[in-house]
Amino acid sequence: MAKYVLRRILWLPFLLIAVSSITFTLGTYGPGDPVQVMMGAKYDPVVAARLREALGLDRPIMVQYTEYMWNAVQGDFGESLVFRGRSVSSLLVSKMWVSFQVNAAAMVVSLSVGLPLGFWIAHKQGTWLDPATITLSLLLMSVPIMVSIPLVLWGLCLKLHWVPCSGWGGILDARIIVPAITMGVPGVAGLARLMRASTLDVMGQDFVRTAHSKGIHPLSVDYRHILRNALIPIVTVLSFSLAGMLTTGFITERLLGIPGVGDFAIKSIFSRDYPVIMAFTLILSTAFVLANLLADITYSFIDPRIRLT
Amino acid sequence: MMNLINERMYPSFVLLVIAALLFGSFLVSCGGGEPITVDEPAALDIERRETPTPKSSMDVSSGSQQARDTKRDTKPGPVTLADVSTPVPKASSTAVPEDLGLSGGVFNRLWSDPPTLDPHLTSDTTSAGVVVEIFGGLVSFDTSLNLIPDLAESWDISPDALTYTFKIRDGAVFHNGKQVTAQDFKWSLDRAVNPDTASPVAETYLGDIVGVNDVLEGNATSISGVKAIDSKTIQIIIDEPKAYFLQKLTYPTAFVVDRENVESGGRSWTDSPNGTGPFKMVDYKIGERLILERHDQYHLGPAKLDKIQMNLAGGSSMAMYENDEIDLTGISLFDLERIKDPQDPLNSDLVVANPSFSISYIGFNTKEPPFDDPKFRQALNHAVDKELIAEEVLAGLVVPAYGILPPGFPGHSEDIEGLRHDVVLAKKLLSESKYADPTTRPRIVITIPGTGGTPNLDLEVIINMWEQNLAVEVEIQQVEWATYLADLDRQRFQAFGGLGWEADYPDPQDFLDILFHTRSDNNNGAYSNSAVDGLLEEARIETDVVRRMNLYKKAENMIVSDAPWLPLWFAGERHVLIKPYVKGYEITPMIVPKMRHVYIEE
Repeated sequence: MAKYVLRRILWLPFLLIAVSSITFTLGTYGPGDPVQVMMGAKYDPVVAARLREALGLDRPIMVQYTEYMWNAVQGDFGESLVFRGRSVSSLLVSKMWVSFQVNAAAMVVSLSVGLPLGFWIAHKQGTWLDPATITLSLLLMSVPIMVSIPLVLWGLCLKLHWVPCSGWGGILDARIIVPAITMGVPGVAGLARLMRASTLDVMGQDFVRTAHSKGIHPLSVDYRHILRNALIPIVTVLSFSLAGMLTTGFITERLLGIPGVGDFAIKSIFSRDYPVIMAFTLILSTAFVLANLLADITYSFIDPRIRLT
Repeated sequence: MMNLINERMYPSFVLLVIAALLFGSFLVSCGGGEPITVDEPAALDIERRETPTPKSSMDVSSGSQQARDTKRDTKPGPVTLADVSTPVPKASSTAVPEDLGLSGGVFNRLWSDPPTLDPHLTSDTTSAGVVVEIFGGLVSFDTSLNLIPDLAESWDISPDALTYTFKIRDGAVFHNGKQVTAQDFKWSLDRAVNPDTASPVAETYLGDIVGVNDVLEGNATSISGVKAIDSKTIQIIIDEPKAYFLQKLTYPTAFVVDRENVESGGRSWTDSPNGTGPFKMVDYKIGERLILERHDQYHLGPAKLDKIQMNLAGGSSMAMYENDEIDLTGISLFDLERIKDPQDPLNSDLVVANPSFSISYIGFNTKEPPFDDPKFRQALNHAVDKELIAEEVLAGLVVPAYGILPPGFPGHSEDIEGLRHDVVLAKKLLSESKYADPTTRPRIVITIPGTGGTPNLDLEVIINMWEQNLAVEVEIQQVEWATYLADLDRQRFQAFGGLGWEADYPDPQDFLDILFHTRSDNNNGAYSNSAVDGLLEEARIETDVVRRMNLYKKAENMIVSDAPWLPLWFAGERHVLIKPYVKGYEITPMIVPKMRHVYIEE
């Protein structure tokens, strides 16, 4: 197990080198550069050359790449070429933190609705409630975010004036409500189905039958035996999605005024802000590798029959 | 917990995978998808730069005066979506008495993250709009674009018009109370042009000063033409008697910064800027908010507002306005219709402001067939009914352009005939051109910037008109912005659209010389006419205003009839919504410091 984890972690640098060199090459060999975008249609080659020199963009690509990676290893992701004077880490960390909070709020909604719903539905297996609930939650999940957000805004904000329309004030601010609902509700379906299946699975186990036969109160069986066991796969699924928690989609961000990382990443690509693009790629790849590893490890803890070798 | 785990059975792996996919996708996947029309599209952030970054050595004189005089006759115009969503200051209100003794209040508005708050690096309107409120320079424009003394209380110009001597105001202080001195200015100007500062606009705005090029090229660290005579007097020597030089000093590149602030703050000194402007920045959280507070010792009289709160997170501007979260918003084409209805509750908040100085156009590469034949270009010009498009397609929100200089701009002349809609003439010109025969005519492609989505409706209609009237077929090719710029610069396009030009300073040179002189870097269509070049060069050094404007007028007429462009639209009037309690807000065609006049009426 320790060996497995170690091996996976040792692979990480190679993976990062592959990912980053591809990103860097694509970025720098692609048409246009940050200076071009900075100067826009009012382009002056002399000034541009001077700027490229000052920003170090005139050096050979290998030199730029090596220097960038060397600094990145030491935790310095450089300075943004668009937001001059700002370190990439400060920009990305603050925006990823925002995205993380939004995702966390959305997850609270998904979990607090999805899990009880799935648990309850499992007990209604065979009745019309079961397919009806699952269908309804799948329907809700299928509504695209560009439809659901304007609908929710129109209702809750413009008509009822219950919540502010958009903007950002942190996870404890009222403005988190709309993103939490619109991003959390689609997750309900997945979670409810997972919870339902997992609960049914546990309910058919011998120890549950034994518990019932011992005359334990059904509610107690539900809580102490079924629920706790049914939650285990959920934990694994959640650890899978940890890496994804760092990003939010730019559509949601733009519609709701959330200063998350999605919109920022896209703008950085359009303006050829190389240090930002690189850091974003590196951080996300690392996060995905680690989250997958975490999921594997959790899994082996949960089920000793799974051996990580 | 452990024994529970031991008891349970291992769940179906397939189920897990499905669940992971479902769940994972909801968390991660909202990233893909088509951009939608929102009030603050990100792309605009980039496209905005299409116009604002300046360059040039221009020659003006009394531009601002003319700008003011002609401003009133401007024809009404439009709001394009881009206009509306860019957080360029807009919104104006009726004239307000300067001093009602009213003060205080908080002004809430939507803005975008300024790429920089360093005046010397500022080259875009998003940054400039904030920078001009926090910092200041020797001179500035008022809201009618008159040049006014700012940190300088007066100045002398030597008889040869080369030496400017500025007297710095006594009461001029930084936000921390420190007196502004000539040495501060000397240091600031040296810093602005230092290669390490890497300002994209240093040469544009300060390049006329003697010695600036030596510093830019790294041969000196101090501008030889800038001297601090004593603590209150600064002398600037320029290379040629350019009357417009003072106007350039209104741009943030020439602003004063506090040396101590810059040196102690390191690369992120603008997180706590010590400026001289009417407002000081008290809070800035990237992507969230930027808060300005009144600077009570401001030398031109303190502002009225207590605070300006800029929401940087974006969002649905119109919804936020309706929900009283912001005090000012642009209006999208979709909302304008309903708001124009007097029955609409928002109708009374509607303010219509003068247009900005800009023009949009389709450029032709005059070296590439079939656009190397002027007759062919003229035919395409005459075949388009701009009046019809402006009215029917663009809802009367733009002013059809027949010349180059926008209405209200110095040098604009109403009597430029231009290439008006005339299908018969267009057909005749086409038949006389080298490319009359459709079988031998090269394939024609117009390139526009963009990433997916439909091209502008007006372009589609124009292409349709060419096809209908001349049987000339044109394809549209869309490329991503940075790629577009790179190819535009290399003159790789046969024809290009989606571009606009916006004034950096009120002078015809800023349009005509920069866009059409043979050797200009921004002459993207490789247009070359030696007679036009001659006129433009003559105008650069002409000191007589009337004669100079006439030279430009002649040049403009020649350019228009050579048809290197199909000029499309001048910006029309801008429509914005302003809460009725906001007073004193003026919409200006350029970025000028103006927030100190604004107040909130209880």
